[in-house]
Amino acid sequence: MLSPGAHEHRVGLQNRLTSLRVVASVVFGALLVSFWLVQVVQNARYEEMADSNYLRTIPLPAPRGLVFDRESRVLVENRDSFSINLVRERSANLDRTIATLARVVGMDEAAIREIVARHKREPVFRPIPIVEHATEAQWAAVRARKFDLPEVVVQTVPTRTYLPGFAAHLFGYVGEIQDSQLDRPENSGIEAGAIVGQTGLERTYNTSLMGEDGHRNVVVNSVGREIGEPLGTTPPVEGKRVQLTIDYDLQRALEAAFKQSGFAGAGVFLDPTTGEILAATSLPAFDPNDFAVGIDPAKWADLNRDPLKPLENRLIRGLYSPGSTFKIMMAIAGLGEGVITPDTTVNCPGGGTFYNRFYQCHKKGGHGVVDLRHAIEQSCNTYFYTLGSKMDIDTIHRYGRMLGLVGKTGIDLPGENNSFVASREWKMRTTGQPWYPGETISVAIGQGPVDVTTISLATMIATVANGGTLITPHVLRAVDEDGRGWKLAPTPAPKSKLLIKPEHLQAVRDGLWLAVNSGIGTATRLRIDGRDVVGKTGTAQVISLEGARAARGKTDLDLRDNGWLIFFAPRDNPQIAGVVFGEHAEHGYSTAPIVKHVLETFFAKREGKPLPVLGAKPVPVTTIPGTTEPVRRDR
Amino acid sequence: MIVERRLSAHIDWPLIAAVLALTLIGLATIYSVSWDFRNNQPGARFWAQVYALPVALTALVVCLLIDYRSLAQRSLFVYIALIAALVYVMYFGVVRGGARRWISLGGFTLQPSEFARLGLALVLAMFYGESRRSARSPVELGIGAVLLAVPAYLIFKQPDLGTAATLVPVFFGVIYVAGLPLRWLAVASIVIVVASPVVWRYGLKDYQRDRVVTFLDPSKDPRGAGHQQIQAKVTVGSGGLFGKGFLQGTQGGYGFLPVADNDFVYSVLAEEHGFLGVLVTLGLYLFVLLRSLDAAKLAKDRVGAFLVVAIISGFGFQVVYNITMSAGLAPVKGLTLPLMSYGGSSLVATLAGFGLILNVRMRRFTN
Repeated sequence: MLSPGAHEHRVGLQNRLTSLRVVASVVFGALLVSFWLVQVVQNARYEEMADSNYLRTIPLPAPRGLVFDRESRVLVENRDSFSINLVRERSANLDRTIATLARVVGMDEAAIREIVARHKREPVFRPIPIVEHATEAQWAAVRARKFDLPEVVVQTVPTRTYLPGFAAHLFGYVGEIQDSQLDRPENSGIEAGAIVGQTGLERTYNTSLMGEDGHRNVVVNSVGREIGEPLGTTPPVEGKRVQLTIDYDLQRALEAAFKQSGFAGAGVFLDPTTGEILAATSLPAFDPNDFAVGIDPAKWADLNRDPLKPLENRLIRGLYSPGSTFKIMMAIAGLGEGVITPDTTVNCPGGGTFYNRFYQCHKKGGHGVVDLRHAIEQSCNTYFYTLGSKMDIDTIHRYGRMLGLVGKTGIDLPGENNSFVASREWKMRTTGQPWYPGETISVAIGQGPVDVTTISLATMIATVANGGTLITPHVLRAVDEDGRGWKLAPTPAPKSKLLIKPEHLQAVRDGLWLAVNSGIGTATRLRIDGRDVVGKTGTAQVISLEGARAARGKTDLDLRDNGWLIFFAPRDNPQIAGVVFGEHAEHGYSTAPIVKHVLETFFAKREGKPLPVLGAKPVPVTTIPGTTEPVRRDR
Repeated sequence: MIVERRLSAHIDWPLIAAVLALTLIGLATIYSVSWDFRNNQPGARFWAQVYALPVALTALVVCLLIDYRSLAQRSLFVYIALIAALVYVMYFGVVRGGARRWISLGGFTLQPSEFARLGLALVLAMFYGESRRSARSPVELGIGAVLLAVPAYLIFKQPDLGTAATLVPVFFGVIYVAGLPLRWLAVASIVIVVASPVVWRYGLKDYQRDRVVTFLDPSKDPRGAGHQQIQAKVTVGSGGLFGKGFLQGTQGGYGFLPVADNDFVYSVLAEEHGFLGVLVTLGLYLFVLLRSLDAAKLAKDRVGAFLVVAIISGFGFQVVYNITMSAGLAPVKGLTLPLMSYGGSSLVATLAGFGLILNVRMRRFTN
């Protein structure tokens, strides 16, 4: 069989087979080294990459802390909001599912189809939200058909819930954190997408209220479906419970009475010795519940467009002329500087001439000879013009600061504006002109370059009520730090202490008492028998008299004057003080029914009596017989 | 035809054992990859592979029993039948995933291209071995090249570049052992080096160029082909020394590695059994290769030796390429890993091939 040359062939073949063995061995050796490098040398790197593929952390949002009133009644809580979702992979017949679901939740079939189409590209096991924040009826209807519609699942979302029409500006609202907020130091550790307080105390006390989100570690496959049991769960820690100084009953009374009055404006009632705010409002307001479920753009646009500015907290942001309420500050300043004594009298013939200009009093015939008490009682402009003519603007500014009318009060709500009383330095800085003494005359009755917030006037009247201590108004009473009960928050330290001689204080208080209780004072409508309510009205022009004449009939803007009421009770040993501001209320006394209702509620509560019921809205009257209450304005 | 006692005495049991071991390891890996986490049971692909195993073993036994020389003598018929099947596929084949590769046979499908290597191996072994020709003249090389080109082209058009490519080493394996002058090999190498820039510029389609670019820098295409390569490397690399354990692989099991039961089955093995698993399986594959080359050495005639080399060249090339690719070290190509990847036709054809190798060794003393 073997032919010549076959042997060489055979040898050649054997050599080449051997070379193939060598090649195979070398190649496999190289492969082994490569796998060693990838698997053992670089293992840590690839292990991390593999882990990040299949391990997911699913956040479990922490409910925000509940908010209570001073008697531990719940004001803000969290309820479950229901969203109705469709899981396509569980549906045998998507068309039929959509038709049934449309009938059950009362939606248009086409609308559902459109929502489903929008999520077409997502994995089929992922729930598609069909109805977010479903009504109870929708939710119940879906629950009832649980077995017909296994592909429809109801998920719960914890949602902040506020009492409707109750202290909206105090609470503020929550919303998803914005990019610009993420950088702020107080928001460190908060991740994008988190719900944080955007205004009000939700923002001030966001850190306490937020709690700590929990998380669930799960294994997912390449399309994101969870596989097997969670690897571990860290439950969320609910935010801390917060107790406010607010009294639910007083707040309720304030809201109801203010709404009945129909005015826009602000009001605050506080404890004049501590600065604890018992009730506070700003109207009109928004509904924080709308924000809790994610406000829809149309509603948000409406709120922003509304000429009455419901998003503006008038209590701490609105700046207005204090009008005659400023006379109280003037009286304290005049007495303190020795410019007047309680018995200093001024003759009011219906006005007075200062620096060659005649300044009118609001009472045409004049008040005659009045001392300080009666000047306050009847809000005599001539008396305070005279006082102003003897005082320096910087002194007035200094007293303004001592009584809380310059700068911020320091209330624990975000966005407070600075109150302002003119000074020489300010005039020079802004206009380059010196202060002319004639300008002080207007300032003395709270007109001209004086702009204050409602809350700052509250600190002023509280200072008069407590005898000179400039308190810091606040709404936080206590925090439940560790779930073991209320831990009282420290009362903010007084900002300053003004030494007022007792006889001076008494004179001012007497004047305020007369204004309410003499029968001929400007605040007569505040009178409550046996309660010794004291107070002072104020009316502030929105526009000058000349301007009003010029603008008459030419503008849609509301040019009616703003009305103030500042008050405390009882005269001796005051327990409650406050301010109510009525925008375009025309007179200070217009808001008196609001104040009376809240004060009556306060006293009834204190004595354990049934709370007063708000009566029908009184017929508006412009004058009260037997008083000289002004028809137009105080000056 | 009966296996005589003296024949059965020469059956290479260690080779059979190694081949079966690799097959079972592959089956176990498919079991793990196909695991259905929702129903906690192995998936359908696993059972399909299990059912293919007895068929493949039968093919092995049949290829062992028929004398390889009588098969080689009829190799032209086998070859023509193969071409016919490939042409049939071209027109009547079943389309899956954009490729026309399968013939439907009632309940299951057959992939003729998987058998192309065997047919080609037989006809080339016969052509160069029996006729005493050697691969030393251009004409002889040319005829061999045509025998290679016809099925390769038909498979390439399916399209299935990967499988078509595995025919090339079959041809080279045979002409190498048939005495291809080494000068020519050197010249060919130089030509390839010189020609490759030209081919790169004019011979390749854009997507083919992209594949190479992606291989060199997977981050250029992290979602497409680069994604597979990155995930393959992550799968292998995260296995470590001892692996994550059977059924504990996250890359294959959770679907992060595409076609994990098929082209990337070895990545999953490396993930679950680590470097030690790689060491064992690479050892088994090398053992299979060397043991087969032994069979070629022992073969009593050139036809037998060439047949073994032809089969083992295609096999070896595919194993090495797939394993390299499974670690993300070679461009991603649709090439399965013989013995381990999912695919019934592949398993049947591969075991049939080993039947022929065993056949050659067993009959080394017969006349």
